[in-house]
Amino acid sequence: MSRVLVIAEVADGVFNDISLQCLAAARALAGPEGEVEAMLVGASVRPHAARLAAGGADYVTVVDDARLATYTTEPWLAAARAQLAAAPAAAVLLPATTIGNDLGPALAASLGAASVVDADGVAIEDGRPVAWRVGFDRKVRTTWAPEGDRPLVATLRDGAAPMPGPDAARAGTIRTLALDEVLAGGGFLTKVVRRDVAARTVNLRDADVIVAAGAGVGSPEGVDLVRRLAAALGGEVGATRAVVDAGWLSADRQIGQTGATVRPDLYIACGISGAIQHRVGMLDSRTVIAINTDPNAPIFRSAHYRIVGDLKAVIPKLLKLLS
Amino acid sequence: MALTIAVVAREVWDTRDLSGTVLDENGRLRPGALPTRYEPEDLNALEAALRLKDAQGATVTVLSPGEVRQVDVAREALYRGADGAVRIAADPDELDDAALGALLAAAIRKLGSVNLVLVGTAVPDTAGSLLARHLAQALGWPAILWVDAIEETAADRVIARRAIEMGYESVEAPLPALLAIGVALLEDDPRAPRPAKAMLKLKLKKAEVPVWTPAELGIPDPAARCVTRRRRREPVPPRVIETRTVDPENEAELRAMLDSVRKGA
Repeated sequence: MSRVLVIAEVADGVFNDISLQCLAAARALAGPEGEVEAMLVGASVRPHAARLAAGGADYVTVVDDARLATYTTEPWLAAARAQLAAAPAAAVLLPATTIGNDLGPALAASLGAASVVDADGVAIEDGRPVAWRVGFDRKVRTTWAPEGDRPLVATLRDGAAPMPGPDAARAGTIRTLALDEVLAGGGFLTKVVRRDVAARTVNLRDADVIVAAGAGVGSPEGVDLVRRLAAALGGEVGATRAVVDAGWLSADRQIGQTGATVRPDLYIACGISGAIQHRVGMLDSRTVIAINTDPNAPIFRSAHYRIVGDLKAVIPKLLKLLS
Repeated sequence: MALTIAVVAREVWDTRDLSGTVLDENGRLRPGALPTRYEPEDLNALEAALRLKDAQGATVTVLSPGEVRQVDVAREALYRGADGAVRIAADPDELDDAALGALLAAAIRKLGSVNLVLVGTAVPDTAGSLLARHLAQALGWPAILWVDAIEETAADRVIARRAIEMGYESVEAPLPALLAIGVALLEDDPRAPRPAKAMLKLKLKKAEVPVWTPAELGIPDPAARCVTRRRRREPVPPRVIETRTVDPENEAELRAMLDSVRKGA
């Protein structure tokens, strides 16, 4: 394939390293003769360009402007369209985040390109890019392809491709594009008027042990028990979306489809029923212990150890045995 | 300006906790293998529309693509308080989001004077992409995705709170606009929109729900609008996990479990 574009992501100053997985996938699609382009859009994002070059990008285009401090669709879309107009690509890959899953389909829709979100992988079939996702409660893998010779725009879930090791010797070619040139008279239709965003404090993907809280913890006191068990095991605390939405734990502790994908040596699910949206984020854990009062909770299907009981009674017993 | 709201209502396969095989030997969904349900985030979108109607007055019309399989979501929406419902005669499982978005956009134009469209953000298992973005593109309107609260509406704009990875953002868009509603719509119970009203069920049980065909919407061959093709479906081998049950009342069993996992960790 001639060229693949990766639209990398920096949000609130933090580089999203699924962007590097996208680069690895892009290299596999492009093949040894093809080109991998990367693009960075935002405010103060220029310093991250070298990381993309070291991660495998042949060219990096940067649109760095103070007006791009927070993501809105229109300027990002305009930048991506300008890049693709200058250097057409057969495939465009983005991290499957709230930014990527907004921008990717918007870009595809505006170009008339094929669109797949939350892909678990991409490949070349019959000379054309395809993307697949595992769904139907992890029973079915569906593969999509572009109609005709249209490009494919796909967002990739964490783990869809290997994380490439950085190659500091790779410099790549870094170019800049001015925002006003990109916007070409277009404006910002939507604008962010308020933000309530926490700083990221933990990277769960590095944790060997995770003790995770689900809605079954019932209260901040229940979360405190989970914290104590995690501390006793030298691990980190994780959470389901329900717990984050309740405000009991911060969003950087969320595991699942809209949070982190983790693969720790030990995962203890406390009061987690096991909705598929959560399980896809922890299925590859080496050992799973699940504690739940419901003997039919789906989480038990992914557990090596099944404890049917009230976590408020079980965790103190475990803490006593660990002390 | 009073709001005229169109809400998308999809009947989707309920893929939670599936047992048994889903595909036949040809890679097609086995008839009868799956139940269906009102797409939960579409139901949240309806609830958001009805709350606007309750608070400030609005006309709410539901657009439901596809024939009824098991759950008549258009009628369910009427029972909850929607002012009208229209079925779109096209199988959403056989169209991609671009084609479905084009059909729905044509239906919204046919409704006339719609200034707010609400749809769930969720991507059903049969869909490749996010319908909301394709629908917004077909309408030529701005969109805000992952909305969990509509904070403010005025004659010419809407402010909605959207959930992002590390918190929330309030985003303003000019009207007309599309809002894609996420799962955490309601602070008290995000999964419990208002139930159907018994009185409306009695009143509307036999109400006619009009059906608009693609030809009536000016798109006689919606499949020709598809840009993403489903190439195949394949079964995923089940994960075989040997599960041991540990009695929480048995300290020896708990200790043995901890010793085992700590050795392995």
